[in-house]
Amino acid sequence: MGSLTPDFRFGNFVGSIVWLVFVVLALVTLLILPIIFFVLFYVPLPEVDGEVLTPYLFFSMMVDPSRTLPVVQFFIHTDLFRAAIFPGFGFAALIAAATIFIERKLLAKMQLRVGPLYAGKVEGIFQLLADGLKLLTKEIIVPSGSDKPIFWLAPIMFVSTAAAVVALIPVADGWVVADVSVGLIAAFAILGFFPLIALLFSWSSNSKYPFIGGLRALHQMIAFEIPFFLSALPVVILSSSLNLTEIARSQNLFMNIFILPINAFVFFISSLAELERIPFDLPEAESEIVAGWLTETTGMLYGLIQLGSYLKLYALAGLFVVLFLGGWSGPQIFPPELIPGAHDSNLPLLQMLALDGLYNPVTVNSIFWFMIKTIIVILLMLIIRGINPRIRIDILLHTGWYKLIVLTFINLFIVLMLIYGGVIGPGGLISIR
Amino acid sequence: MVDSVFIGLSIITVGSAILSLESRELLYGGIALAISMLGIAGYFIILDAPFVAMFQIAVYVGAVAVLIIFTVMLVRAPNTVTKKETRKRKIAGILLGLGFLVMAGSILGNSTVTQLKFNENAPVFDVQAIGKGLLTYYSPVLIVLALTLASAVIGALALARREDIEERNEPTN
Repeated sequence: MGSLTPDFRFGNFVGSIVWLVFVVLALVTLLILPIIFFVLFYVPLPEVDGEVLTPYLFFSMMVDPSRTLPVVQFFIHTDLFRAAIFPGFGFAALIAAATIFIERKLLAKMQLRVGPLYAGKVEGIFQLLADGLKLLTKEIIVPSGSDKPIFWLAPIMFVSTAAAVVALIPVADGWVVADVSVGLIAAFAILGFFPLIALLFSWSSNSKYPFIGGLRALHQMIAFEIPFFLSALPVVILSSSLNLTEIARSQNLFMNIFILPINAFVFFISSLAELERIPFDLPEAESEIVAGWLTETTGMLYGLIQLGSYLKLYALAGLFVVLFLGGWSGPQIFPPELIPGAHDSNLPLLQMLALDGLYNPVTVNSIFWFMIKTIIVILLMLIIRGINPRIRIDILLHTGWYKLIVLTFINLFIVLMLIYGGVIGPGGLISIR
Repeated sequence: MVDSVFIGLSIITVGSAILSLESRELLYGGIALAISMLGIAGYFIILDAPFVAMFQIAVYVGAVAVLIIFTVMLVRAPNTVTKKETRKRKIAGILLGLGFLVMAGSILGNSTVTQLKFNENAPVFDVQAIGKGLLTYYSPVLIVLALTLASAVIGALALARREDIEERNEPTN
């Protein structure tokens, strides 16, 4: 009985469980059932296969394997699913979380440390969960002289802006939340919000370290925005479209990085600066200005900004893949059917296991290759953090304004020469379409 | 659907524009201006011109608003706006504004603007057409604009350059 408290009584324990059951039942009868009835009365139900989806139909479909898959398919193709779960926020947040853990572990291994070790017994795999719980339950301390509305709103703005960039990234043909005809410019326009948010948040903290960090973030992001924008220009010229899906589709013969290696390099460096990652993490330089513009963040405000910056990391890696690495193109490695012969057989359970009708080999293949490429780019960004020191601010600004902008033009002229020489482009020797 | 979006955008745009004028805190005024510019970008999206909308966001919210807010932060003085208005002035201002609105409304109502109809055969939005137009028919305008901007930048550099600190600021690397 060592682990139990000394005044443990079995009767009290049973009583507490009975009380819990009572509270749950009371909540269900008083709150949840009325809400369900209200929803059933007033909300028009969607149609699946020509029938109105009533709860009875829904349950019968869930029980019958042959009718479950169409329902799942219907929900997968709704806009809400796209925005909230698959190519949208949930998926990106999952990748962001995985990136945080892998980054800590990878950097630790690179620097001969052990990294997170205790949470979850095996190599600390639950460290992220523990950190998340800690951030959620910590008190949020707002500095007394701070500008309260901006201080509360800026982290939320940061996450939502990052999610807006994520929404523009296509992961496969047709699998994108917002298929905008000017997607590339939209991505750059939305990325232009980040310096504003960092500046406002650092100002609202009313403290000197955040403000210095915010000014640094502003300088850095504006210095690197121009090479960032310019390095994507030859890609647009090559694919003659601003739509990200079209840009990815136009690279089915060869990836853009083979024609535009310098631009890919500039884009990569600029996205590191845009993400404030080492070697460009001057806004958060912890050995100089505590934590830069994040100094006054506590609890979930810090968690939100962290989530936002890793969402942004995924979005920029995805953008790099779409612009330079050919998006989702890659050799077909998935079989046409998960279990061969499942479609012709009359066994409903087998069909359900084979995801018959739901499984699309081309889409799965596209998503697989997109994920592989994105993960490689993300790992590249992480490795650079492990092996580089932080650079000085004047070198950073000098690099951004003088070197990268000039570098972007080299490839631009090469592409123009190739197009006017009739080698690539519409009507050229190697036609993209 | 479009009407409700339009009304919502109008409320956001006009409301934040009024807020940016009336706000005593200069910084909030700057933020309200940025939101107002976002609302204008929303109008462009409704008008089926996403290209212009994106540049509106990139230029006005991403650059101009940042510049304004940055300047406000640098020169932050709490009482730059002295309260001079009296009751009489307020009433006179409101009456003047209403009079102007009525006049402008009557002129607009009698003009041919009210007889305009939606063009069903309007060309579909096309970025490539914009690019072609900019490089062929409108190329002189583009070149003149580019020269104007270049001269503005060179002028700004010439004004901001200080020769007395040039020598101390030796090669950066």
